Amino acid sequence: MFFFDLLGKFFINLVSSIGKVGYFIYLIFRYLFTPRFYFYSNLKYLLKTFITSVPIVALTAIFSGMVLALQSYTGFSRFSAEAAIPKIVVLTLTRELGPVLAGLMVAGRVGASIAAEIATMRVTEQIDALKTLDTNFYNYLVTPKIIALIISMPLLVTFADVIGVYGGYLISVYRLGFNETVYISNTIDFINFEDYFSGIVKSITFGFIIATMSCYNGLYTGKGAYGVGKATTNAVVSSSVLILIFNYILTELFF
Amino acid sequence: MDIVLKSIKKKFYEKEILKNINITIPSGKSSIILGKSGCGKSVLIKIIYQLIKQDGGNITYNSSNKVNINDFAMLFQYGALFDSLKVWENIAFQGINEKAMPTKDLKELAIEIMKSIGLNQDNHNKYPSELSGGMKKRAALGRALFKKPKVIFLDEPTTGLDPINSNLINELIVKTLKEREITAITITHDINSAIKTGDLFYYLEDGVIEHKGECKNIFDSNNKKLDYFLKGEL
Repeated sequence: MFFFDLLGKFFINLVSSIGKVGYFIYLIFRYLFTPRFYFYSNLKYLLKTFITSVPIVALTAIFSGMVLALQSYTGFSRFSAEAAIPKIVVLTLTRELGPVLAGLMVAGRVGASIAAEIATMRVTEQIDALKTLDTNFYNYLVTPKIIALIISMPLLVTFADVIGVYGGYLISVYRLGFNETVYISNTIDFINFEDYFSGIVKSITFGFIIATMSCYNGLYTGKGAYGVGKATTNAVVSSSVLILIFNYILTELFF
Repeated sequence: MDIVLKSIKKKFYEKEILKNINITIPSGKSSIILGKSGCGKSVLIKIIYQLIKQDGGNITYNSSNKVNINDFAMLFQYGALFDSLKVWENIAFQGINEKAMPTKDLKELAIEIMKSIGLNQDNHNKYPSELSGGMKKRAALGRALFKKPKVIFLDEPTTGLDPINSNLINELIVKTLKEREITAITITHDINSAIKTGDLFYYLEDGVIEHKGECKNIFDSNNKKLDYFLKGEL
């Protein structure tokens, strides 16, 4: 009986959470197009998101590009296909690793900060204070973050793509002895707009997921420091899991 | 603004917090809602403010069911100042949001309010985290007064303050209410504060108003439950 109790509770919570998130998304879209628009807040969050994420995204991308070049060499050298390495590096980074890694990094870096900020505002009654001051919570706090992440994620992914490819180039040229000119021309010749575009679509989707899950978990936080900690963890975990799920769905669409 | 509550009910999940609240809050008076922790005082004032909806009953504001929320302002228990904004930006928050006037004028107005509530104007560029508990309450009161409300809601205005600062806040509340002719609804556990700042009191227990009367006669009541509450007995 205990098992069925748990199972029942799990499904009730799951369905209830899906409903709540769905309604939350509906409200986001509703207020995205409501007149009161906080230009300064939007700009501030956009810059904050981009600037604070650049170092961590760059580090992740360059090392991933370097590892990718080395691992591809291990495999391709077994059947003398080393020439495919620049193509594999650029394709994997633009279509897959760039958006996913940047998404996971931003979920950890920015998503956690958004969830903690909103959850703290919730437990210290700042959200209620906003209402008493005739200020809509969605307009003031949620939509600037959604807009900031939707705009900054494609920029970060483009940046991650370039840095990642540069990492692959460094390893291929200086460690594996590739010809510099051939490596660059192979990279440029092989990539097409669709590869880049699929990565950008993914990045916009991931940006929306991170902002939505972070704001949602922050808003529905429990009480006290424990509640804020749990909201932050839930925001990062749910964003990361959804990024991986939607990555598969979008990859199927662009396959 | 006269506020009349009739048969107000509210429950969260299966727990009935407010069972049947019937009170009249007279215009221009300071009404105090007393009660134990968790008895539903905060829920009640949030319902009156229309921050949350009641499950049953109705509220009229000067005989109308509708009210302009801009006639209300609230001082929250711990101030609820916005951490990312400076003190003057907190005070002038609504004006900044509504772009009511140029920033320079809003800042001057915020500094004027700071002076009127005894908050040193040198603090205007500080962030809330740099203020003491008493200063935070003053800044939060300043933010509430910026709206020029007809009704002000005070949620535990002396909580977390030492006796000296509590006294100062009480005096400030009395002075402000008198000068601005504002109706006040306060929830508190602090009996001294209730006596100093209130005209009328309502004692809330088990979801109903157990007793009401004038604050100055609070110790003369014959209500046992209120008597136990005042003496701190179970």
